[in-house]
Amino acid sequence: MGILTNIQRFSLNDGPGIRSTVFFKGCNLRCRWCHNPETLSARPQLLRYGQKCIGCGACVTACPTGSRSLSPEGLRYEEKTCTACGACADVCFSGALELCGREYSVDEVLGEVLQDKPYYEHSGGGVTLSGGEVLMQPAFACQLLRALKERGVSTAIETNFSFPFEEVIGPLLPWTDLWMVDIKLFDAQAHKRWTGGDNACILENLRRLAALGKPVIVRTPVIPGVNDAEAEIVPIAAFLKEIGSLQYYELLNFNPLGASKYDSLEMNNDFRDARPLPKERIEALADAARALGLQVKVG
Amino acid sequence: MRNRINCLPKDLALPYQERLRILRERKIEDTKDKAGVRSFADGDDYGAITPPKDYVFKPIPNHRNGSFYGFEGWSQNFFKLMSEHPVHIDPVDAFACRWMNCMSWMRQQNGIGGFNPDLSYDHLKPAIEKYGIVSGIGSDAHFGGDYNIGLQLGFGGLLDKLVKYRLENPGHDEFYDAEILTVMGVQAWIRNACYGIEQALLQEENPALRENLEQMLECNRWLIEGAPRSLREACQWICWFNMASREYNRDGAGCQLDETLRPYYERDLANGSLTQDEAKYYIACLLLNDPHYYQLGGLSPEGKDMVSPFSYLILEAADWLDSSCNLTVRVHQGMDKAFLKKSVEYLFKNKNGWPRFSGDKALSEGFMRKGYPAELARQRVAVGCHWMSLPGLEYTLNDCVKTNNLKVFRVALDEMMASDGERSTERLFALYEKHQRLCVEATARCILFHLDNQVKNEPELMLNLISHGPVEKGLDMVDGGAMYYNMCIDGTGIASVADSFAALQQRIEQEKRLSWETMYESLCQNFENEGGEYIRRMLSASNRYGGGGGIADAWGERISKSFTRDVNDMDTLRKGVKFIPGWFSWSNTIALGKAVKATPNGRKDFEPINHGANPHPGFRKDGALTAMSNIICRIQPGYGNTAPIQLELDPGMARDEEGVEKICDYILTIFDLGATLLNINIINAQQILAANENPDLYPDLVVRVTGFTAYFCLLTPEFRKLVVDRILLAS
Repeated sequence: MGILTNIQRFSLNDGPGIRSTVFFKGCNLRCRWCHNPETLSARPQLLRYGQKCIGCGACVTACPTGSRSLSPEGLRYEEKTCTACGACADVCFSGALELCGREYSVDEVLGEVLQDKPYYEHSGGGVTLSGGEVLMQPAFACQLLRALKERGVSTAIETNFSFPFEEVIGPLLPWTDLWMVDIKLFDAQAHKRWTGGDNACILENLRRLAALGKPVIVRTPVIPGVNDAEAEIVPIAAFLKEIGSLQYYELLNFNPLGASKYDSLEMNNDFRDARPLPKERIEALADAARALGLQVKVG
Repeated sequence: MRNRINCLPKDLALPYQERLRILRERKIEDTKDKAGVRSFADGDDYGAITPPKDYVFKPIPNHRNGSFYGFEGWSQNFFKLMSEHPVHIDPVDAFACRWMNCMSWMRQQNGIGGFNPDLSYDHLKPAIEKYGIVSGIGSDAHFGGDYNIGLQLGFGGLLDKLVKYRLENPGHDEFYDAEILTVMGVQAWIRNACYGIEQALLQEENPALRENLEQMLECNRWLIEGAPRSLREACQWICWFNMASREYNRDGAGCQLDETLRPYYERDLANGSLTQDEAKYYIACLLLNDPHYYQLGGLSPEGKDMVSPFSYLILEAADWLDSSCNLTVRVHQGMDKAFLKKSVEYLFKNKNGWPRFSGDKALSEGFMRKGYPAELARQRVAVGCHWMSLPGLEYTLNDCVKTNNLKVFRVALDEMMASDGERSTERLFALYEKHQRLCVEATARCILFHLDNQVKNEPELMLNLISHGPVEKGLDMVDGGAMYYNMCIDGTGIASVADSFAALQQRIEQEKRLSWETMYESLCQNFENEGGEYIRRMLSASNRYGGGGGIADAWGERISKSFTRDVNDMDTLRKGVKFIPGWFSWSNTIALGKAVKATPNGRKDFEPINHGANPHPGFRKDGALTAMSNIICRIQPGYGNTAPIQLELDPGMARDEEGVEKICDYILTIFDLGATLLNINIINAQQILAANENPDLYPDLVVRVTGFTAYFCLLTPEFRKLVVDRILLAS
């Protein structure tokens, strides 16, 4: 079983063709601009959208730990005692409470994504595993990828790639058609500061993947004030010159759509006021990378 | 009607694209003039303009109630209308005149509309009322003519043909007299237009426009009698037929435009009398004159791809025009992929709702199930809002007849709750099927009544002229003149009904969260009782049609199979009359909803039903088009009529070549899965919100409302809300 947050069908931005994207829950990095904050924790979490509450009180009755109660000021919530069992969300039909993350079996995922197999076949698409971080649940990922390949579905993984190659990445290689790997920052210290993780193994893993001839797309989310300068992008592009199996390099503009998720989790959002880069600016960064002879896309 | 003569500087150079820019601006002015005129609201763009303020048409009654009916009434009034019709000449336009009002509307405006009161259908009214049937009795046009007949004969040749067959068919004088008067009426309008062009030539000073007017005059003088000889004459002839047919009864069916006009185009090119740019200009002006429904591409009767260089030219002309068009590209797996790609590029570039796409495989194979050969099925082209027609061969009442399946559901539910028997979704479905059968049979009998009586109410004097049979037999299309009678019966509300069944199954039977009695009490109180809103939210949060492989989708398939069987069974009612099922609401979602009280899908009293075969908005958290498309493909009745897919897509989806390819692949996949028709709006939520706040600031914003495109500013607030809600939820 794997813990997933969502399965998104008719996904056009997660690899070639028409795809379904399976979002894994849990991530080993803590990128401060993450636009999927609900996927950071490996455990299920309760998302709360107070403005949708109709005050019916059904959640109070349903909660087995007394974490929800009625007071003269309205509904109250005790996060400390909440086990995120989902009993309250199960009776909340207004959409004010939503359980993020639950266990899925491989068959359950297949039941959903195989409904779109004709679209994958017509378009050269398939299924992309994303997150969160897929490699946090390598056994489930491996079972799922294998099951998809056995059913003739093309597969891809979006990953930060900061995992041991032999133990984690190696077993997935036979079942993965395309790797989409993030290099968020090239400078090791800056990478550590902004994401909490080391990038040395990411770069080394990419070299090893290329040596095996496995197709890879490398992507950089361009974040205002973090890596939105040529000085950050060009070294990544220069490194990619040695990745022989690179299909293309993609710059992903900052995505501000995670703001409401931070609110629903009552999490601090360092990038609340940040906005995507102007089109001209991100194109200028892409041109700087193209000048090194790479094929570069802007997403 | 605005003056457009001698309005431009004398020395202004006017290349063709510049002329189209001016014509587009003038169209926006005309659209502003139409805003607020009731007859232009909530319908196709049509290309009509407002008449002069002092223009009044006074009908000639032939009935004691002041109205007019039958051959005599319609032909005399039409001749009068044509003879008196205002002439609108724009020297920038390649073609003369515009239409302004139709006789069907004028009857309503004068309080003399409705079916001939001497022909009572009171015996059918109880069922119409009980099940909320849109009966089609008295509906007009809504089948396609064969333009080739008119293009080969011209109006003079049509007159000769009428005279010839009048002699061969004694006893049909009333028919032939009416048809001859009809053709003479159109000729009178063309003669008046020639006079109008002569007058314009006295005033116009720009040499380029004078040259255009001289050519326009020569073209129209010839077309009074003669058959078209060039692309320009063929387009002008089509304009005349379209405008006259609109004035008669709003007929909007077009033709396979590329194949119809290709011989003229190729001949003119070969003899050096036409340039590519001239051809584009003529086609753009034809599309401007009236956005009739035209098909491009598809298969010839022999099974060959019909896409030609001229098909591309028509797309390019529509791109020059960059306005409302009703072009349909017929998709098949062996088609020229570059043509599909070009179509998708223009769809996203211009964001005017054109082209839409129809699926050859499901349409042809479906029609063949009704006993027709493949050669005929391939000729059944997209020439209506959601419908196909065999040009000049069949009478259909397409898009005129609807069963209100949600009303049927509510009747069944009320019956079950009022009785002492078992309460279950299975029993409810049995009751639903019982009432659906009664509803469908009543609907079929309404259609038979229409076929028996419509000729005494409103004959099809214009479309008869370009059909195979009426002139030859002396019989109206509705009255035995047609070769085939394939009568359309569209179901509506499939998602509303499927969601209702699924909600009951999930919440009452599977989860046991609710009792039948509690649910029904809330329904009867419109969810306004204590706890009613919680119950409404619970019901509406149940598994939904379009959700992908769930119980609501299964109900949708079951409902469609049941409806399809019932409609097909009506073929036994009368020899020679077949009934073809489809799922389409048109923009009747509001009116049909107003006939139904609250339902278990969480819908409150009198709220709209779902649109066509689409799910209700919010059907799935990720809004996946594939999940929605899959169920619409599976509920297709499969007999040659449609259950369209209606999409609202963000402009960013096809921002680059890869995005265009993906949309093309999506289109090819759904048509391989059995889809019949795909309508797409390319629009962003912010623009539609701003336009809704102030429609007058967006006079050129075109949206595809259902099968038809309309200027947003010409929609009433109720219809605007329908479009806005759909687009916002999709985004």
